[in-house]
Amino acid sequence: MKKLLFSVAGVLILSFTALQAEARPTIEELQKRAVLDDYEANVVFGYNIVMDSNRYAPRYAGNGLRCSSCHLDGGTRLDGFPLFVAGVYPKWRAKNGVRNSLEMRIRDCFLYSLSGVMPPEEAPEVLAVSAYISYLSHGQPIGTPPEGWGVPTLPETGADPDPPRGQAVYKRECVMCHGADGAGTAAAPPLWGFHSFNEGSGMNAVPRLAGFIWANMPMGKERSLTHQEALDVAAFLHIQHRPFDPREGKLKKLAEEIYHGLSRLFGKKEPVTPQAAR
Amino acid sequence: MSLLREALPDLSWRRSVDVRRELAAGLVGALLVIPQAITFAYVAGVAPEYGLYCAVFVGFLASLLGNSPMVGGPNTAVSILIGLTVLPFAGRGSPLYTELVLALSLMVGLIQLLIWLGRGAALFRYFSPAAIIGIKAGVGVWLISSALEGATGMAPMTVKFLYEKFYIVLAGWQDLVNPYAALVSGITIAAGLLLRVRWRRSYVVLAVLIGSIAGGLIYGWLGPVASDLELLGHVTLDAWPLQTPVLGPPHWLFLEHAIAPGIAIAILGLAQTLVIARDLKSTVTPELDLHKEVFAQGVSNAVGPFFSSFAGSGSFNRTSVALEMGARTPLSGMIAALAVVLIAWLLGPVLTYLPMPVVAGVMVLVGIGMIQWREIRPMMNWIDGPVLLVTLFAVVFLSLENGILVAVVASVIFFVASASKVKLAISHEGGAEQIRVTGNLFYASLDRLAKHLHAHPSEHTALDLSRVPFRDATAMEMIKRVEIERARSGGKLEVVEEGR
Repeated sequence: MKKLLFSVAGVLILSFTALQAEARPTIEELQKRAVLDDYEANVVFGYNIVMDSNRYAPRYAGNGLRCSSCHLDGGTRLDGFPLFVAGVYPKWRAKNGVRNSLEMRIRDCFLYSLSGVMPPEEAPEVLAVSAYISYLSHGQPIGTPPEGWGVPTLPETGADPDPPRGQAVYKRECVMCHGADGAGTAAAPPLWGFHSFNEGSGMNAVPRLAGFIWANMPMGKERSLTHQEALDVAAFLHIQHRPFDPREGKLKKLAEEIYHGLSRLFGKKEPVTPQAAR
Repeated sequence: MSLLREALPDLSWRRSVDVRRELAAGLVGALLVIPQAITFAYVAGVAPEYGLYCAVFVGFLASLLGNSPMVGGPNTAVSILIGLTVLPFAGRGSPLYTELVLALSLMVGLIQLLIWLGRGAALFRYFSPAAIIGIKAGVGVWLISSALEGATGMAPMTVKFLYEKFYIVLAGWQDLVNPYAALVSGITIAAGLLLRVRWRRSYVVLAVLIGSIAGGLIYGWLGPVASDLELLGHVTLDAWPLQTPVLGPPHWLFLEHAIAPGIAIAILGLAQTLVIARDLKSTVTPELDLHKEVFAQGVSNAVGPFFSSFAGSGSFNRTSVALEMGARTPLSGMIAALAVVLIAWLLGPVLTYLPMPVVAGVMVLVGIGMIQWREIRPMMNWIDGPVLLVTLFAVVFLSLENGILVAVVASVIFFVASASKVKLAISHEGGAEQIRVTGNLFYASLDRLAKHLHAHPSEHTALDLSRVPFRDATAMEMIKRVEIERARSGGKLEVVEEGR
């Protein structure tokens, strides 16, 4: 009898917590409310930044992209770089070799993918996006990556990614929305050039880009490309011009170029002979 | 009728204006105000655009409606107080925070208009100059201490007493301080202090230039990640940033809590404005109307939020530069406001890369400029000195708004103390005593005279009150009592009032 009572109580409590978990208000509901508390206001601000970075975070956003260009559907789509990943931060990343807080990770997006100005970790824009990510992470596991995070890793195809083939695929499938010059249209963001992500961003890696393309592109016909086609398009995009990696100081790079140029002009012109090398 | 005259812009200066001088003063003023506007926006906790809008719209309206070469716009003390008031209610820099700043500014403007209707300008006469200088120096200390995080590349921190911050930074500098940020801010401050000797007017602009070049070299060489220098970011100016201040339930709740600080901000803004105006009235423009300046300040602060700008007030440093450049009419202020739009638009792409440690350096330079030994030294006497020191300590160790309260109380106390000094000249002539009183006789100053009169009940005394301009009921009562007492014990009190 006692056991039964306990189990009934347990079930009640469980269902109650489940109900509470369900009771998370949607963004639309929050936007309609007259009064928001600080957390909710921050979530809405973060949502706005994710959906329209240039309008709501003009101080730090830089190019023609917005967060939702890669984090599809405002960061809610599985296999489209979903944003409900607050549970895995802080975590160590090879990119900068330190343990990254969520805020530190967000400002990397401003610096690389949005090719803008790196905000401080405590910038209101960063904190707002952080709040939005926490809000999305409601009910997701803590400490382990959630289902559908990042993009799928494509299996070995047996052939190298080939840019010329990728160009053909691009002309067939992507030109409609992204434009022949890759500068984007009203329907889709720019893929290369000065208004796209820079060489330091995560999208500037062929396997990841290929996984994203295969799982999410072309919009409305997702997963219609073969793995090889996705890899080829990714390789084609990878070799295009884009803003360079901001981690390398511009002045330093300029000085290096000047030094190399000068040494080519005035230095020894003969190639290094085996004798000299010995 | 006179209210209407004060409320309408007085354009009589048109007839005697030297346009070229005003233009030069205006352009220099615009160059000066841009780094300050960005700095004070940072101090108030809002995006840099709001500071520039404040320089444009508050500056323009204050000049248009006032009738003096005083330059209005973003102000140190007002910005600090706005930041301190709003910070407990919203995340720094968030949309709600900005809305609250604008709502607060609107309230400040309306309070100032109420003060105008109540003829408050007269009251500020009793605000002792020593208290103003004390507040100014205290604000300087606050500014320097709030620049500390930016100058060392740290996140803003909240401490109870400002010296704790210096302790934290000194104790943990190896972990906390970004050496590149410290280097850039150090170069900015050092350049400013060195250049100040030679170029008293434009040293801040030059220091910003030098600091930015240093920061640019470091940033360019190491890149954003390795140097970790914070940049200002894109400043997107809108030529016509119309918006209606949002007044929803959270805003009303905030305003309810912010009434006392709001009054403090209104008073502090007006106090600075009126100190400048009083100086101008006695030196440059004798026809200046203090009430008109109060109105101009109130309207510009109340209208400013509709143009995305927070509250401001008259500026000591920019006004004195404008005067040195030969500005004599409000035209220079209006030109400065309009030139800000142009210069900020031209500089826009460069401003993006302005390192924040340079902004922090400007804060320190402005702070040092507010603590002027030249102003403090003449105050080191027994009446002004205590008021100044008490105010300074209250501002530094309590808070700005409490400091203002202390300043008012200290001014009143020392005013009363100095007013209650009466001089008794006692002489004896043929057995009769003569007392000549100089000063005001009232409840606070009566003590010595009463004691003296009561001590010798049987004497004949002639009390000469011809140099007593004012006596209150308590004094008359005392004299009457002494007269009765003397009549009872054989003495006599004779009140002499020559020339009355």
